[in-house]
Amino acid sequence: MKQEFLLGNGAMALGILEAGCQIMTSYPGTPSSEILPEVVRFSKAFNLNTGIEWSVNEKVAFDNAFAASISGKRACCCMKMVGLNVAADSFMSAAYIGNIGGLVIISCDDPGPHSSQTEQDSRLMARLGKVPVLDPANPEEAREMIKTAFDLSEEFQVPVMVRPAIRVCHARQNVKYDVLENNETKADFKREPTRWASTPKFRFLQHKALNEKHIKISKKFNSLTPFNVHTLKKGESYPFGIVTGGVPSSVVQDMFEEYERKDIPILKLGAPYPFPEEIADEFMDACDKVLVIEETDTLIEYLLRDKRKTLGRLSGHVPMEGELVPEKIESVLNKSLSDCGLSPLSNHDCGQEAFSLVGGLELPIRKPTLCSGCPHRASFYSIRKALPKAIFPSDIGCYTLGSNLGVVDTVLDMGAGITMASGFWNAYIQDDVKKPIVATMGDSTFFHSGTTALINAVYNDSRFILVILDNHITAMTGMQPSITQGDRVDGKKGNAIALETIVKGCGIDYLKVIDPYDTKNMIQTVKDAAQYVNDPDGGIAVIISRHPCVIGFKDTAIPEKIKVKITDECNECGFCHLRFECPSMYSDKESGKTEINEVLCAECGVCLQICPQNAIEKA
Amino acid sequence: MKTINYVLTGLGGQGILFMTKILATTALNKGYNILGAETHGMAQRGGSVVSHLRIGDARSSLIRAGAADFLLSMDESEAYRYLPYLKRDGKLFVNAPSNAFPDGRVDAWLKKMNIEPRAMEASQKAMELGSPRSTNLAMVAFYSAFGYGPLSKDDLRATVDDMSPGPFKKTNLKIFDVCYDTGKSMV
Repeated sequence: MKQEFLLGNGAMALGILEAGCQIMTSYPGTPSSEILPEVVRFSKAFNLNTGIEWSVNEKVAFDNAFAASISGKRACCCMKMVGLNVAADSFMSAAYIGNIGGLVIISCDDPGPHSSQTEQDSRLMARLGKVPVLDPANPEEAREMIKTAFDLSEEFQVPVMVRPAIRVCHARQNVKYDVLENNETKADFKREPTRWASTPKFRFLQHKALNEKHIKISKKFNSLTPFNVHTLKKGESYPFGIVTGGVPSSVVQDMFEEYERKDIPILKLGAPYPFPEEIADEFMDACDKVLVIEETDTLIEYLLRDKRKTLGRLSGHVPMEGELVPEKIESVLNKSLSDCGLSPLSNHDCGQEAFSLVGGLELPIRKPTLCSGCPHRASFYSIRKALPKAIFPSDIGCYTLGSNLGVVDTVLDMGAGITMASGFWNAYIQDDVKKPIVATMGDSTFFHSGTTALINAVYNDSRFILVILDNHITAMTGMQPSITQGDRVDGKKGNAIALETIVKGCGIDYLKVIDPYDTKNMIQTVKDAAQYVNDPDGGIAVIISRHPCVIGFKDTAIPEKIKVKITDECNECGFCHLRFECPSMYSDKESGKTEINEVLCAECGVCLQICPQNAIEKA
Repeated sequence: MKTINYVLTGLGGQGILFMTKILATTALNKGYNILGAETHGMAQRGGSVVSHLRIGDARSSLIRAGAADFLLSMDESEAYRYLPYLKRDGKLFVNAPSNAFPDGRVDAWLKKMNIEPRAMEASQKAMELGSPRSTNLAMVAFYSAFGYGPLSKDDLRATVDDMSPGPFKKTNLKIFDVCYDTGKSMV
């Protein structure tokens, strides 16, 4: 027996392999990104024959896992919750069709949001797709739930979702584990076109069958211990009870234990959908009022039948947005208990006085910023310098932080850098205005969903400049390998695909490849591209701005290190640290002079090219 | 055992996760259960980083405002930002000049909460001893000098010894000892 202080994502990786999962696919996205690499690590440690891949996007990941599952193997596909939107078409369809080998979808939620564009609740996607869902409270429970999910999926031939929130994924816990063993099931796809390729008539029948499965699963969930349990004492009635699940359930349980409150029963629904009607009815019957505390939206609260007895988001007791952090839950509990004439858990202010005291201290606002030496900073500088009046649609990745440099005007979702560029063009050209537009997108995002967007734009003759920021890696989510390099997640060599080939294949004639560290050259390249875009015989211009990520390729990204110093010419305009936003430059509080933080400085030397006073030179 | 709550904070790149690992590994070696919460993704790119660590049998990873036994901060501003997490009688350890901390505006609140702030220029000390990146373990050593909580100085030092790669071991232990002594002189 081994023990490790594992991330929740690591504990889930253990659960996946303990369940005998044979095929595992994913596309990285916070907070899910560490699951797949942890599956690789454990799979290698125990010499398992697991098929593991970073897929090009979430839909591709899902379809791959689905095919494995209908070949009889256990398969799992994980992603962040907005990734499930990308896979939604497959997800909904697969629920109707059903599966053979267990098929588990892990969709990681980000209430807050900390690192996402929405706070969507994957449990509601499960409800929409009629996919059963389990909602873990902490890493250990997530690990156990994944095993249960595989069993359920196989028993009922339906995909099952596990929905860990960020406080499960990025919690750490000491976790014990034993030797893991290979699942030897062989692929054996049995042709059955009326099922696997069913037409609408059969889809109706599959929908009916799915609904019938739900009745059975709901019954099973009534007694699915320890995930669905209550603390009612037989025959007793209560003025107040709590229905909860997922991360908030662990907070509620901890808090009641800490405050030694034993008078309030709790119904914990770790498996909330299909809704376990009987256990919920039993609980509702025993309580005069119930408070629903769930993350992030209202699933349980909608599914409970008697709204007049229910406190929660719909009654205004629980916030409609934001993460349910423990102090928020404490204040919700205090107010709800008081509203029901009961004594609150605590009489203190849940940190309010201290938070407002600290709020008044005018502490520095710490916004995320591109790293020291980041090639994206150099690219953004040059783009803005070349075409300051353009519209700048951008996309999702580290380079979203280009907004700090005034070169990111829009961020919608993966791929929208290009689709919105063509949308802007269409909106302006209708008025006979040739609006300059420069779209930016990273290499991984381009593969994820940029190609269809570019093909569409070429086909419909939109005009803009696309700068593909190629840093050879998926950086923001934790340095996953890029298709441009061909390295696979398990260290095996795949086949690298050159961006140039794809871009040209999309019908692009104008393609330049530059290194953004040479800003003079990049500025000229962007200007030249703008001319091509405006030429009646021109088209879309693509610039691949290529330089490796300075974190992901620490040893090679900056081949020639350049130490710099600030000269007396400096007039303290602040351009280098405020506008160019190099994190290694700062204005010293005492001297008021611009200084260089040598610990942080990546020695990229780009700042030599950007100072309006030419006051930075080689040291 | 009652759960012991640590909030560890600082700026991106200061090694908050390593600091968490020192405390967590020590607790694990002592046979305690541990549960923690970390910052990843967009929030990790520079900016404020916080890590929660709970020693004991907690089910939830986040420490609520007003419930932390200890706040260890690698940065002065971040110490203020996370003050609300400290409970009454909680202990505060900050990487800051001891004569300049704390800001007068939080004095009354600290007094009311019976929180005694302890400050040491950990980054200065780590730099002087040749490893500015070891500020994190300097703070752990400083904290250990006061003898609070379930983790002893010897246990923490042994973890630092174990976790430091060969070439850094000597410097790290030197930093640990110097910062422990600094703390001891304030007890």
